[in-house]
Amino acid sequence: MIHAEPAEMTRLAQGQGFLSLRGLTRRYDHFTAVDDLNLDVAKGELVAFLGPSGCGKTTSLRMIAGLVPASSGHIVVDGRDLTGVAPYKRDMGLVFQSYALFPHMDIARNVAFGLEMRKVPKAEAAQRVKEAIAMVRLTGREHHRPAQLSGGQQQRVALARALVVRPSILLLDEPLSNLDAKLRDEMRTEIRDIQKRLGITAIFVTHDQMEALTICDKVVVMNHGRLEQVGTPHEIYEHPKTAFVAGFVGRINRLSGRASGGVAQVAGITVSAPGFEGDVDVMVRPHRMVLSTGPAPADAGLHQLSGTVTRATFAGDILEYEVEAAGTLLKTEASTRGGEALLAPGTPVTLSWRPQDTFVYAAS
Amino acid sequence: MNAAHKFGTLCLLAAGLMAGPAAAETNLTVMAYSGLFQERYTKAVLEPFMKAHPDIKVTFFPLPSSAAMLGNLRAQKAAPQADVVIMDVSVSKAGTDEGLFTKIDETNIPNVKDLYPNARIPSVAGVGVTFDNLVLLYNAEQVKEAPKSWMEMAKAPYKGKVVIPGVPDIQGLGLVLILNKANGGTDYLANVDKGLAAVAEIAPNVQTWEPKPEVYAPIITGQAALGVGYNARAQVNSEQSGGKIKATIPQEGTIFQINTINLVAGAPAAEAAKTFVNYALSPEAQKSFTETMFYAPTNSKAEITGAALDRTAVKNLDKVMAVDWIALAQVRDKIAEQWRRRVLPASR
Amino acid sequence: MTSLTLCHAEPRRLGPLGTASALLLPIAVVNAIGFLWPVVNLLKMSFREAQASGALGAGYNLDTWTNALTDSFTLELITNSVGVSLLITVLTLIASYPIALYLHRSTGTWRTVLMVLVVAPLLTSAVVRTYGWIAILSDRGLVANALMALGMAEPPRLMFNLTGVVIGLTEILMPYMILALLSGFGRLDPRLEEAALTLGASPLKTFWRVVLPLTAPGMALGGLLCFVLAISSFVTPKLLGGGRVFLLATEIYDQAIVTLNWPLAAALSMIVLVVFGISLTLYARALRRIA
Repeated sequence: MIHAEPAEMTRLAQGQGFLSLRGLTRRYDHFTAVDDLNLDVAKGELVAFLGPSGCGKTTSLRMIAGLVPASSGHIVVDGRDLTGVAPYKRDMGLVFQSYALFPHMDIARNVAFGLEMRKVPKAEAAQRVKEAIAMVRLTGREHHRPAQLSGGQQQRVALARALVVRPSILLLDEPLSNLDAKLRDEMRTEIRDIQKRLGITAIFVTHDQMEALTICDKVVVMNHGRLEQVGTPHEIYEHPKTAFVAGFVGRINRLSGRASGGVAQVAGITVSAPGFEGDVDVMVRPHRMVLSTGPAPADAGLHQLSGTVTRATFAGDILEYEVEAAGTLLKTEASTRGGEALLAPGTPVTLSWRPQDTFVYAAS
Repeated sequence: MNAAHKFGTLCLLAAGLMAGPAAAETNLTVMAYSGLFQERYTKAVLEPFMKAHPDIKVTFFPLPSSAAMLGNLRAQKAAPQADVVIMDVSVSKAGTDEGLFTKIDETNIPNVKDLYPNARIPSVAGVGVTFDNLVLLYNAEQVKEAPKSWMEMAKAPYKGKVVIPGVPDIQGLGLVLILNKANGGTDYLANVDKGLAAVAEIAPNVQTWEPKPEVYAPIITGQAALGVGYNARAQVNSEQSGGKIKATIPQEGTIFQINTINLVAGAPAAEAAKTFVNYALSPEAQKSFTETMFYAPTNSKAEITGAALDRTAVKNLDKVMAVDWIALAQVRDKIAEQWRRRVLPASR
Repeated sequence: MTSLTLCHAEPRRLGPLGTASALLLPIAVVNAIGFLWPVVNLLKMSFREAQASGALGAGYNLDTWTNALTDSFTLELITNSVGVSLLITVLTLIASYPIALYLHRSTGTWRTVLMVLVVAPLLTSAVVRTYGWIAILSDRGLVANALMALGMAEPPRLMFNLTGVVIGLTEILMPYMILALLSGFGRLDPRLEEAALTLGASPLKTFWRVVLPLTAPGMALGGLLCFVLAISSFVTPKLLGGGRVFLLATEIYDQAIVTLNWPLAAALSMIVLVVFGISLTLYARALRRIA
């Protein structure tokens, strides 16, 4: 099953893109880790594989690298079918979550390793190693051992080591997961900058939606070995195609309703639900619900629900509320831009949101 | 009632156990070879002795070799644990030189007067208690007739089938001495060139120079066909294996190996030790042990039955070459060195 | 970081150095009683007067040492022992490495089964295992029969010579080598091999450039252990050497047990100790170069 629009389907079938995955599948004895993955990545794109652990994103990456053989399907890079090609002949750069630097070599020799394997002449290799180390801002640390560097520095070395060979594709397997929060933000930007500067095609495996949304050109959301949705961060966030995507990318409020005749009845209001019949899940992102006290603003264009504040939390930039409306607890938030005070629990409120912020999915 | 009765009996028993030995028994420790020797010597000598002397309780302290015994005696020199030691004559010479033993002669052990002259070694504190001799061993299935000569071992059919405990073991050394004399060597203290040359002829056929644990097993199993060993153990092994191994004294003759019995200096039970040594040298004990383990007696008065006597070297005394083990010890290192240079290269 | 935190949190406790000394004290005492004292006695023994009869004289002299150090046989013993032990160590390493690597990579029940198989031989004594080899290597043993079945007229002599000693000791020392290697395989992260592969190194290159260097400390430890065990073993050389293999250990046994020359046995033991010392130094140096 491919959850993609017809237009996208056509593009996939035509085999465009620098990297093409065709029906890529990996089966194990008791489960299928990756099931019929089809994807095209354009040259110079940074694509995120996003999903919860066990969704098949890392297995997909390892199949592209050649470290895990595909059970079926094809991997095509720049028109060349790499399926079945040994990993050391694939010309890919892989950056691991655990850095995987060679502990018995100093930084310079770690970075030079791929060039040595490719028999790049000594002088040229030395120059490229120097540049790569400079690129990740580690000049002067050439003769340190990996263990003498911090986690962030080690990951930058790993990046330099993978990039110095000018691979056709850069593969990053949860590269930021072992770093602390502050370093993670810094590294994220750094990776994006370098990728853009080199114009290299890259795949970035992550379970962190923030990472995927902030730096990637395209996000591939996976679940249970299957591709849920491919799109730009904006598409994924604003138009999640499945309830899973809506729930996994960003926060969400979920209401149960019933659809018939192109509309759905939910919590006493009517929302547009073309093409749906029977039980539906209606979802709205918390921060798209506007909270107001007193009488509801008369705006026929908005969906509105009345309720009572049950929990209020002051979080600095924002105020977080939990509102009980129509028997359901809904999350919402208000800005503190105007120095708004926190509403007390028990305050009657109205939640309003735009119809286009309403997602409807068949109930699961 | 019942419990009280039992308790009373126990108390009586305990009292008896504690009082008995303390009042009447002397504990005597005899240090000697483990294994076959221990088994047979206990039966043939220790048990009759204890029956005759109920006041003396003998404990056998078994050790695998004379050297191990000497090591123990050295360690215990300040406070000896053993009273009597039976060991090879050359080791007892070392012990004598170190002052570990009390001199045995007619004055303290009456039976010494009946010993054969070669059982009394002037420079050794102890006296000979058993005579053993070197024999040519053969597997009865592979070798139908008793070989006539030690040089049978050099013959082609026995390639890889000969086992000899090599120098510095006394058995290999003895073979060198026998063949040295047979080939016209006169003074083995001066040189054993002729003996070494003869053994070098045998060497290509030798399977191992270190049969372990002893030389008899590979011949019994047929792993080897011929070998050099001691008569007493060969006879017992022959008996136990149903005749699979046999022993013969070839025409070139043989040599005696002497085990001496020694009184440990400063032993805790010195008087009981003398009583025991005198018994061990008595015609009665000598006869008993010879008939049990086929060591030739050292007491000239021991009257051995014909069958057992035939299995010792006693009737072949003319074939026994005299060896001064004490003097030989002085040149043993030299012989070992020549052995490595002249015999072993021929057996690679 | 951790130790720093500890120091700040509990300033009144023993410092790292004090704790270390306190922990080392028992082993130091045990070593002094169980090792140093006997060694001092052994050294004293080597200077005792050795009489021809085997008796120990009361006095002390340099004769034993003078004789031992001027005798070409002593040199032969040392070169034999060192050479044979090195050969055995190398063969043990070659035979054990693939097994250890396989074991390191296997998982679950299978790994447990393999571990038991590796360790099990250590539960039987070297003597028993050597007798096992005698059964296998003898003229009518498993190997000889197999060779004859394959048409070899006269199979080579496999024991009661150096070949037998090398085969027997190699097998007997393999469990030690495997365990030492396994203990050193900790740094062998499969990700490192994958990194090398994706960087363009073939499996063979990956082995040479990544796996082998990372397992070098384990190899050095296993090598040291096997060398020391090989050079000090005498049961197997005695049983499988057939009196044709002359090593320091077997000569010490002969001098102590057969010839009764304890001073010479002690002097040769001191020479073995010196060889140990040299190999330890080389090990330490090798380790420093590796790490």
